[in-house]
Amino acid sequence: MGRYIIRRVLQMIPLFIGISIVIFIVIQAAPGGPETTLLATGRFVSPEILEAYRTRLGLDQPIYVQYFRWLTTALSGDLGYSYKSAQPVLQVIAERLPATIELMLAAYLLAATIALPLGVYSAIHKYSPLDYAGTGLSFLGIAMPVFWFGLILQLVFAVQLGWLPSSGRETVGNTGFIDQLKHLIMPATVLSLLYIAGWSRYMRSSFLGVINSDYVRTARAKGLHERRVMLVHGLKNAAIPVVTIIALDVAGLFSGAVITETIFAWPGIGRLFIQAMYDRDYPLLMGIIMMGSIMVVVFNLFADIINAWLDPRVSYD
Amino acid sequence: MTLEIDTLNALTSQTLTDIEITMVEGLIMSNDQNTYIPVLAKEVPTLENGGIVQKDDGTIEMTWNLQEGVKWHDGEPFTSADVCFTLDFIQSEAGQAVYNQTDYLGITECQMPDDKTVVFVWDKPAGNYATLFDTILPKHMLEGQDILTYDAYNRSPLGTGPFKFAEWKPGEYVRVVKNPDYWRGADFPKLDEIVFSFIPDPNTRLNGLKAGEFDIGQILPNQVKEVQDLAGYKVVSVPSNRWVIFETNLFNERAKTLFSDPNVRKALFHAIDRQAIVDGLMEGTVQLANSGISPTSPYHNPDVPAYEYDPAKAAQMLDEAGWAVGADGIREKDGEKLSFTIMNRSSRPERTAVAQAIQAMLKEVGVEVTFEDLESAAWLEKWLSKEWEAIIGGWIIPADPSLTGLYACEGSNNFTGFCNPELDAAMEASDATFDFKDRKPLMDKVQTILAEEGRELPIYYNSLPYVMRENFQGFKGSGTNLGSFWNSYEWDLGN
Repeated sequence: MGRYIIRRVLQMIPLFIGISIVIFIVIQAAPGGPETTLLATGRFVSPEILEAYRTRLGLDQPIYVQYFRWLTTALSGDLGYSYKSAQPVLQVIAERLPATIELMLAAYLLAATIALPLGVYSAIHKYSPLDYAGTGLSFLGIAMPVFWFGLILQLVFAVQLGWLPSSGRETVGNTGFIDQLKHLIMPATVLSLLYIAGWSRYMRSSFLGVINSDYVRTARAKGLHERRVMLVHGLKNAAIPVVTIIALDVAGLFSGAVITETIFAWPGIGRLFIQAMYDRDYPLLMGIIMMGSIMVVVFNLFADIINAWLDPRVSYD
Repeated sequence: MTLEIDTLNALTSQTLTDIEITMVEGLIMSNDQNTYIPVLAKEVPTLENGGIVQKDDGTIEMTWNLQEGVKWHDGEPFTSADVCFTLDFIQSEAGQAVYNQTDYLGITECQMPDDKTVVFVWDKPAGNYATLFDTILPKHMLEGQDILTYDAYNRSPLGTGPFKFAEWKPGEYVRVVKNPDYWRGADFPKLDEIVFSFIPDPNTRLNGLKAGEFDIGQILPNQVKEVQDLAGYKVVSVPSNRWVIFETNLFNERAKTLFSDPNVRKALFHAIDRQAIVDGLMEGTVQLANSGISPTSPYHNPDVPAYEYDPAKAAQMLDEAGWAVGADGIREKDGEKLSFTIMNRSSRPERTAVAQAIQAMLKEVGVEVTFEDLESAAWLEKWLSKEWEAIIGGWIIPADPSLTGLYACEGSNNFTGFCNPELDAAMEASDATFDFKDRKPLMDKVQTILAEEGRELPIYYNSLPYVMRENFQGFKGSGTNLGSFWNSYEWDLGN
């Protein structure tokens, strides 16, 4: 197992270099550059000023020169400066990361608490009214546009009832836990809906597969209590694929949720990313995408390791 | 606020500078009358008040007398050295980050006869001198620093203004607090603090206002109807200096074959029902425009010819220009169809809607319009390349309207290739004049030529609707590039 992990980690190095080359080329291939955004306000800006801006950022150099400059500084732990704010990329990302992790964790916890029991219940009581309700909820969750659901929640709970703040992460000057929690409720609910929809379906079908298997029948035949059969013999085996799915989704924890963060003015990575894209802020984009890629690769490895731990039949050598 | 700002350095920011203006001041500021008023200067120098002296060798001496008793937020006195330091930075290589750097390059010398007097020597007259120095940098803080990356200033600026910087939470808000030693006296500012929240989605902004979470906020023109009767709030629409135009290109080869005949352009303009766009599409929240200079500006010319809606006349003009209706209902001439593409920009949905209205109106007179929809940066790049046929464009101009950059044959922002020597002469004469009395007739002429030659079809002046609490006092919104926060020291939330 130890050798396996070391091998996987070593394999990541060429993978990351390959990813960085592709991303570097792709983001610069998009039409328009950071200098064009100077014109976005509609003020007169002369083409000489635009050209000087490109030169100052080093964008007049060939792309491979730019890439190697980025790579050498990146290897020393310096991801460069954001064009827009002139601040170190790592600092900009670090400022936004806590908000994103807070939101995503809340959404995951909410989703797991609802989706897993719902999936199990639906499987045990197949075709019961609650199973149909869960199925309906899943389809609704997948089909409903996130921005629409978010705005509806705002209208109901902020505008009509006045229970919750419509957007933001905190009330200015108030750092209390209750205040933060109130701000978190709506965005976390919106975000969790998609996960609830997906995870509960996985849980349901996985559990259905398990309760018809031979070892469950054997457990019943031994006269074990039905609850023990379901929760010990059934749940443990049914959880394997679901845990894998959840572990893979955790990679998204660090890349944020673009639409939810925009709708609720949540100061996270997703909003930073979409704005960096509009601004053609190449160093910041590189930083965010590389971090996202690293997380996906790392959590893939975690998922494999967890799988091996849950399922002794899986072995790596 | 919509988007988060890039930096709080008002000179190098690529966004408009509403927030900075509450903290940082300059020699001048533009007000709600589209006029420059002195701030850190006692008065704006003119020929009449002796502040501007034209020398025999053609150079100009311009004297600015500075306000007494002005202190930076850290207690240091504000002096003429700060003004010359600011000019030095703008004229340096790093000053290329200042969007209108070129306007400052005519100043050849900055003299400091004493602490409270600055004299600029210009190599030639610059009629729009009053648009400059809306921001002054603190020399004692920034001397010897790389200003472009100096976070101690760019993230927490030091100014002389009514409010002091307090905090900036990335992605959330900027908070400024009352400056108790403000030079206008103990009565100002009235408010204790202002918080600028960044809320990117316009619907969320509207919901926040409806929920009573904000004292003031800017909304979109098409949201006005929804908040008109909101209890406890009022809506104030500020007429903007941003005007929206339909413009055709003369650089692009194909567009040139269609539009180089001014009568074709004018015919198209007559086929467009602008009143319907203003009343229907924009729900009457904006004002019809006939010239680029806003009616709130003293330079506005109310007598420019207007392109009244007259599809019969449009059809007749196109017939006379040789564009006959073809078998498919689309006009053609010498095998070329009168069909062109309007390039739309995803970040300006209201302009895309205008383009769609124009498409339907032009179809009535046998002209076909297709669309190319591009994301903002891609749109801007293609626009700069001048390889497009038509757009719905828009510019924002300072209170002092020098239009030379936009309309001169060699103008730096002339992206359409329109060129008229008589127009150039009038604009150059206006730029070389300091006196309003002499400039006004020249700018009147500029507006008339633009209309007569069919350079573009002005459609409407944009409006900036603000929703604010009923007891919000002192708001005098300004549609210039410097925005509505120019008098934030007078704002109050009283009973």
